[in-house]
Formats: sequence, structure tokens, C-alpha cells
Amino acid sequence: MNKTNLENYANEITDKFSKMITKTYQNNDEIHFNVELNDMPKICDYIYKNLNARLATIICSDKQKNGGGFVIRYVFEKEDVFIFVVVSVGQDLSFPSIALQIPSAALYEREIKDMFGLIPTGNPDTRPLVLHEHWPEGIYPLRKGFKLETKPGRQEKEYQFLKVQGEGINEIPVGPVHAGIIEPGHFRFSILGENIINLETRLFYTHKGIEKLAESMKLDDVLFLSERIAGDESVANSTAYCQAIEKISQVEIPNRAKKIRTIFGELERIYNHAGTLAGISTDASFPFGAARLNILKERLMQLNESLSGSRILFGVNKIGGVRCNITDENKKLILKTVSEISDDFEKIIHLLKSKSSFMDRLRGTGTIPKKTAHELGVVGVVARCIGIDVDTRRDHPYASYSLHDHKTPQQLMQHKIEMEKRTGDALTRFEIRVNEVQDSFGIIRESLDLDDDALFTSIPVHLEPFRSALGCAESHRGQTLHWVMIGENNSIFRYKVRTASFCNWSIIEQAVLNDIVPDFPLVNKSLDLSYSGNDL
Amino acid sequence: MIKASRKGIVGNGVETIKDLSNSLESKNYRGSVVFKVDPTDDQKKILENICPTKALFSIKENNAMGLDNGKCIMCGYCNEVASKVIEIKSKPAMPTKARNQLIDFSSPQLSTEKPYEQIGNELNKKIQKMFGRSLAIRQVDAGSCNGCEIEIAALNNPIYDIERFGIHFVASPRHADVLLVTGPASRNMEIALRRTYEATPNPKIVIAVGACACSGGIFGDTYATTGGIDKVVPVDVYIPGCPPRPQVLVQGLLLAVDRMIKNGI
Repeated sequence: MNKTNLENYANEITDKFSKMITKTYQNNDEIHFNVELNDMPKICDYIYKNLNARLATIICSDKQKNGGGFVIRYVFEKEDVFIFVVVSVGQDLSFPSIALQIPSAALYEREIKDMFGLIPTGNPDTRPLVLHEHWPEGIYPLRKGFKLETKPGRQEKEYQFLKVQGEGINEIPVGPVHAGIIEPGHFRFSILGENIINLETRLFYTHKGIEKLAESMKLDDVLFLSERIAGDESVANSTAYCQAIEKISQVEIPNRAKKIRTIFGELERIYNHAGTLAGISTDASFPFGAARLNILKERLMQLNESLSGSRILFGVNKIGGVRCNITDENKKLILKTVSEISDDFEKIIHLLKSKSSFMDRLRGTGTIPKKTAHELGVVGVVARCIGIDVDTRRDHPYASYSLHDHKTPQQLMQHKIEMEKRTGDALTRFEIRVNEVQDSFGIIRESLDLDDDALFTSIPVHLEPFRSALGCAESHRGQTLHWVMIGENNSIFRYKVRTASFCNWSIIEQAVLNDIVPDFPLVNKSLDLSYSGNDL
Repeated sequence: MIKASRKGIVGNGVETIKDLSNSLESKNYRGSVVFKVDPTDDQKKILENICPTKALFSIKENNAMGLDNGKCIMCGYCNEVASKVIEIKSKPAMPTKARNQLIDFSSPQLSTEKPYEQIGNELNKKIQKMFGRSLAIRQVDAGSCNGCEIEIAALNNPIYDIERFGIHFVASPRHADVLLVTGPASRNMEIALRRTYEATPNPKIVIAVGACACSGGIFGDTYATTGGIDKVVPVDVYIPGCPPRPQVLVQGLLLAVDRMIKNGI
């Protein structure tokens, strides 16, 4: 972490708003400003517009029993620093909305309204989000008074979709049960002929109450829960969770563990990117390419199994390090499989790129407008495809990623120029994934010279209550953020998860606007969004 | 591990598994939890306490310990803590027709289990007889983490190629004989799942796939979940695992077809 960066931003904000800030404190790469509720929009606006920071997440927690009322934390990400604006909500249980200045805040505010019952005044959209219309009013799951096992009754009510009216406008409702082997969600298309006039997504069908559930579990068990936030992002999510706990207990994990985390993180990226590229190929009506890529995916999953005992890499991480060792025998297996697969991967990609019908289908499909992407705060491949240069592996180096970021000034310049050229269509996303897979092969090879030390360090038996920290990692979809606040007796007081999909889902409504209905599956696949990771 | 055809990935080689004796698991695979010896009372307490999904439980009547495969998420934590009592085998736990059959006891008994290809061929013959060549499956995600979907989708890849056994996935429940349901049946999916079930023509078979679908798994029974598919619709076959590997999934399908034959449709 760059100390001067943190101090510069801290000083800038303190100078500007010294009268409004009641308390400031630092925690590793986090800087917290406590302010009054009414001053919050001004400060958030300044951080967003003048510092050009990205709204990373909004975290609410219920401290009523501990004499604090509801506390909301607005988390901004600027380079390698996380800026927290912390406010307490008063007796009237409402807080000013910042959705009109910072559009990406809208969804977080709706989430807080559903789960805590706090009203975002000024948010134009206050329809239910997480809890569907059948959930009775006045019951809020994340309040401390709500018991996990409560089963409230159902109420009859209908969700109001946006209505597009006019001659020749039709609606197509799709889902929640889809035609393929995928997760549930509802899409409401308004169409004129084949052209999509409007798309509204309705998600949270797979809401499983993960954040509430974590509050009743032991720290070690929450690790297994974090792996199952989204089955295909298990390493990224568990790494982020472990890092949050490690940051709270201030432990440094052994170098060997760091490298093993890196290797598994990249293996996860490769097998998922291979799957996504196969999906793109299927949806562009080229099943041959998909079949070949699926063979590679299967081989990678078998490699996963030989290394970790699970085909989708469950059980790799442990708080304080890793559970799963990589022996010399495994190293040979990895090297052999990786070289075979990277060979075959090149051949398939060469084949795909030589098919003009395939390339034409991708070019210009599902184009994302850059301004909207900025406003919605997208992350990962979806951000990089339009030239928004964010990558948690580089911005907040974790595991052993700092060892792999060695670009010459010339390469950095080239990277910048290339970023500017990116157009944000499905083809760009296809190419970025191909490049990332090739980079991952390199990172795995470089990481294989493991240090000869322990797999994990033990963390303190008792963690101080109400200490909190933010852990982040880059999954194949983008940044995943896990904020943990420790409760009494080593329990979890609040576990807030924001995966890449939560940021990226809303962009799909914009991405399809210039396309026709049959393009939708292709656009959806090229964005590669997780339902489960979004719904929690 | 399969042998990759090194002739070239874009050539015409056959990738589909055909070796009858090859069951594909690597020796490291966490397939099932098995008791080595009867645990002592102290060990029972420890095991009960550490199991994140409460799959290990002691039985008061005969002083034994039970393992509910329908709850087990194969984290392997019990083996780490009590390696003298608990062993992790690479052979996966097998599907059953009733929920209580998923429970193993500390008196050890391992299920006999066949390779993927052999199960598939048996299944193929039965499907030929029963359904005139094809069995249509509709997959429904009722709140899964997407892990089970990855494995179900893998059935369609060229390596497992389930279509050669006459099984295919269809786009609508109205075309389906079998519903393959994953996830702990989230509250928000409850109505959709029930309506999908109603839309499926009779005779129909419902298969609960994965620990979540069998019992709620790690997500349990909370405000947001119902704690298992059988709380919402009747289930005919339970497939344990987190997630179950493709070979166990076909074994579950075989069991489902068997059940249809027995019920005489």
C-alpha cells in the first residue's frame, strides 16, 4: 500500500470539511470519517466528483442493542485506498439518498430499505428489491431483533414493472425458470418488432439469507459459507473473507500460502473463462467451438480435483493461510496440464477468430456506453472492456500478486493506449477473456516456485469485538468485497458481501438497447453475471 | 484422469470416455465421509460441535453416530479434527430413493458403485424400454450457488456426453419427464418451483440434487430458505454431494428410471 496516497486523500478531505468531520481514524488501507447525517451527501458528492473515486459499497449495520442505532458506511475506492464515510441514522429511521448524484448508490439504498427498514429519502425507486412482494411489510431480516428461523406469512401483491406504452409495443416475460441449465431470474422485455426498447431485470430469486446466516455461525464455518456464495467464485470469495479476518487480527500469512492462493485463484479464473468463452460460442451459434472449449474446462476441473479434492475448488482456503498443499508431484501435474491446455487453447481461439460469421456476430453486439458504465460503477471484465482500468489484483495487491505486476514504462503506456481503444462490445469482452487466460497461465507458472514454509499461521483465539475490516479479491467476474465486523465471543456481528455481479447486473439493461431479442443470450453470456453472487 | 487425445484439439478425435473401468475420480477427491471406528463419547461431542451443517449426530438408543449424507457438504473438517475416527474416501456417496436412506451409521458400509459408462448403458436400455428412446429433463435452480449447475452442465460436454444414453435437457417443464432440482428451495423461488412442478405432465419424477436440495445444506432452514426441495414438492430421488459429480448424477437418474418402472407407469 502506498502510504502517501492515503495521507494525501485524508488531508484533502480533512482540509475541505474539517468542520463537519467529528472523528477520523485509519486502519491499514482504510480511512474512516465520521460525519453528521445531513453533511454526508456533500462529502460523498465531493469524494465521487472531485476525487473521482468509485462507490464500492454501502454497508448498514444495526447497533441498537449496543447503544448506537443504525450505522451506515459509504465506502469509496480510490486507487489503493478505501475511503469510509460513516454516519449514524437518527430516530426517524430515514437517511438522505445520494442516488441522484451517484447512480450506483440506488441499489444499495433499496437493499438497506428492505433489510433494515431505513427509508432513503429522495430515492426515486423504492420498490422491494431483495425481499419480493410476498414479504410482509414491517419485518426486516437484518435487524438484530429478527430471528433467523422466523417464517413470516405471504401477502398478495404485485411487483410494478416499468410499462412501455405505444402502438406495436409488446412485452416478453422470461423466467424465473429459464430454458437452459442456469440460475433463476426474471427479465421483462418491451419490444417493437424484434428491437428491444426496454429491459427490466428482476433478481434475488436465489436469496438465501447468507448475511444473516453468518451472524449465527462460527468464524471457521462462515468460510464454508463464503465459498458457497457463488459456487464458481469459491476461491475469490473465500480469499476475500479470509483477508478481512486476517486484517482484523493483524496476521501476515506465510509466503507459501500466498502463492498457493494465487495459483488457485488463477486456476479458478481459467476454468471459468473457458466456460464463459464456450458459452459465448454456443450463444453465437457455433457449437463446435463450445464443445472444444468445454473439453478444456473439464480437463481443468479434473486438475482442480486432483489438487484440492473438489472439482470447483471448495476447501482451498483457511483463515490464516490455506488448507490445501501443492506438493512437488502436484507441481509437475500443474506444469504438464497447463502447457497442454495452453497449447490447445491457442488452437481453439485461432479457429474461432478465423470464422468470420462468429466474429461478425460478436462485433458491435451488446455495446456498453462508457459514461453509464462509470455511473453504475461496474468492475472486472465488464469495466475493462470499455477502458475503465480497474483490477483488484493490481490496485490492492493481495496474495502474491505484487510479484507479478512488473511492467516497463513502455508497456504501461501501451496498456493505456489499448485501454482507450476498447469499444465495450461482446467481441472486446471475448478478447479480454482470452488475454486473461493467457496471462493466468503465466502467473501460475511464475508462482510455482513455492517458498519452503508453513501453510498457515494461527490467528489469535479471541478477536476484539466491534473491530472491522474490508477484504477484497478479484474473481473472474471482477472485484468481490467482504466486510466483516466481529461481535462478542468471536462471533460475527455483521458480514456484508458485495460481489462483482451486484455492480455489473444493472449494466445489462443498457447493453441490450441497440440489439434485437435473439442477441440477448449472447450479451448476457458475454457479461458473465452470477445470480447467486448477486442475490446472496 | 482422462487421457487427452493429443492429436489436436480441433481435429476429429473422440474425447468421450469409453473405458469401462475408469471411474474418473482422482485419489484426492473428497467423495464421502466414512467412520473408521466407533467414536467415543468425547469424540462424538467434538464431531457434533464442529460439523458446520450438523450432518454428524449421535444416536442415543444404540450409542452410535450417524452421518447424514444429505447434509454433508464434504468440507473434510471432521477428518482434520478427528482423523482417527473419520476417513475421507474418494468414492462418492450414492443417491437414494428416500431421505432417510442417505444416513450412514458408524458401523461402516460402503456402497458398491459402478463406472460412469456402465451406469449410462444400463440407463440407456431402461430408457429404451420405458420411454421409447428418450428421457427429457428440465433443470430447475431453486436457490443453488451455481456449483450443482456446473456439474449438471458438464453432463452435456463431449466427455460425459449424456445424450448418447438417450437423455436430453429440454427448455420447458411441459416437455419433461424428470425435474432436476437444485438449491435449498429459497423462499423467493417457492412459487415458481411449485408452478414448474404443476406444469410438468404426469408421470413425473423429481430429483433433488446436492446437499442443499436434500436438506438445505449449509444454508439450512431460515427465513429465506425452506430447508430442502421436499418441503415444497414431493421428491423421488435424493442425490447427495456438494456438488455431486457427473457420475453420481447419472446414478441418480438410473435410480429415478428404476422407480418409474417399479411404480408401473
